Amino acid sequence: MRGLPIAIVLAAAALALANAGRLNPYWTHVAIIAMYYGILAASWSLLAGYVGLFSLSHMAFASIGGYTSALLIQWFRLPIPLGIVAGVVMCCALGGAIGWVCLRMSGPYLAIFTLGFSEIVRITISTEDEVTAGMAGLHTHSLLASATRLPYLYVAFALLALSLLLMGLLVRSRWGLFFRAIREDEQAAAASGVAVARCRIVAFAVASGFAGLAGGFYAHYIGIMTPSVGDLDEMAKLLVMTVIGGMERLPTAVGGAFVVEFLLEWLREYGQWRLPVFGIVLLLTMRFARNGLVTPFWLQFLRLGEARVSPLSAAPTVPDKESGT
Amino acid sequence: MSGRAELVRGVGLVKRFGGIVANDAVDFVVAEGDLLGLIGPNGSGKTTLINMLTGHLEPDGGDVLVRGQRMSGRPPNVYAAMGVARTFQQTQLFGRMTVLENMLVPGLARPHSTWDEVARRARRYLDFLSLSDVEQLPAKNLSGGQQKLLELGRCLMLEPAVLFLDEPFAGVHPRLRDKLLDRIRELHQGGRTFVVVDHDMESILRISRRLVVMARGSKIADGEPDAVRADQAVLAAYAGL
Repeated sequence: MRGLPIAIVLAAAALALANAGRLNPYWTHVAIIAMYYGILAASWSLLAGYVGLFSLSHMAFASIGGYTSALLIQWFRLPIPLGIVAGVVMCCALGGAIGWVCLRMSGPYLAIFTLGFSEIVRITISTEDEVTAGMAGLHTHSLLASATRLPYLYVAFALLALSLLLMGLLVRSRWGLFFRAIREDEQAAAASGVAVARCRIVAFAVASGFAGLAGGFYAHYIGIMTPSVGDLDEMAKLLVMTVIGGMERLPTAVGGAFVVEFLLEWLREYGQWRLPVFGIVLLLTMRFARNGLVTPFWLQFLRLGEARVSPLSAAPTVPDKESGT
Repeated sequence: MSGRAELVRGVGLVKRFGGIVANDAVDFVVAEGDLLGLIGPNGSGKTTLINMLTGHLEPDGGDVLVRGQRMSGRPPNVYAAMGVARTFQQTQLFGRMTVLENMLVPGLARPHSTWDEVARRARRYLDFLSLSDVEQLPAKNLSGGQQKLLELGRCLMLEPAVLFLDEPFAGVHPRLRDKLLDRIRELHQGGRTFVVVDHDMESILRISRRLVVMARGSKIADGEPDAVRADQAVLAAYAGL
């Protein structure tokens, strides 16, 4: 019965999608934005949670993905999906390049470097208004010719599911094992034969690619791209979502994105005061629940359907289950 | 050493940290089948030498050759792929990963490896090292001695030609130390080559066939343990006599 949690998730998703039409347009929009952040939170957790690369340029890549897609469509009249794919490719290439430049950096040095990159991107987009329309915002083509938001909800869900599937396959592969080994001890990983440089570059490229995908979708859903997509407030929001959810697992990071996004909207009547509340929750999470607030619930959920076996016999991250030699 | 293939050679290795010369033109050869003890007082440059011979430190001068190939500028994983494995002075495990996962990492880093084959090998080595019972525990939860054994096991997963063990007996309970010594001896008899660095003279002398002594960044003796022990320069530098 190890597949029970997956079956429950799929059933719940199917039920939610079947009843999504009952949501009013406002909450439909909130759900779409939560899914956008869900892709970003999962991909940032791949980088920060799995590999231990605390990059602060993730929202900059969402911005690059969105602008690349929007501009290529405007200049070359590309089909929108092709524009989004081009944004993803651009982000993968740039992310890989950043990963290469940052090979010898970690911790605060990496955070400061990526923060600098993020600001360069934002200021460049703001300043080059002849190309990007600057602070006035770049109008983009709509992804769907639909008067309602519901089809966008389905597209957002499909992109989130696809992203989680691909990232899930990656983290369950030997690459995922290498990523975690690098996070634990880079020197020991190298001594164990792990090509640390290659892994770090791949992690940066893949995570940035998914950020670009989220940014591309956002650009063609909202209808306008502004430099604020990649600003530090957005990065802080993403960080809060991922940390509160639990940054060492993809589903908990997505859970954090949903919880924070929905709570932010639900508490909207409290205006700016809701933001310090999330800051305090972040501090308390870092102090008392470093694995995130969603993680305990997720782990409890994963135990559903598990036979009562000795903890030593459970091997959630090891594919081979043979008992002896 | 005659007739035996040379696995790792350091030629005139120099390493400086600021004004301190940690290694001053050190020549060092490890040949197939060696069980070599590397000893010397604190700060004599033993770990620096190992770090250079395994790719973890770039020498300021000289060259490292593995099976005759110049290794300058190559990362440690290339050394590992060429059969040069090492442990660390302060045990460096993947703490929050399970014992089995610690073993899987080097196994899966080898080209053409498969999960099934690597997991089988990992369990065989865990059994050999008496760590089978704890394979699903996070590595950080093991005792100090078990961690040393796991680090050795992780090296073995590379199926290395030569293993550099940096202070493998430090802080290990005597019973576990004996087990570690037995395993090293068995592995050596099985054809593995070892370089063991330690302050524990007694342990080193129990297993070494060749002894290299370092002092103040230089190699001052290299030969049979009995001959080296009688060397006046060694006694002066190492034992302070």
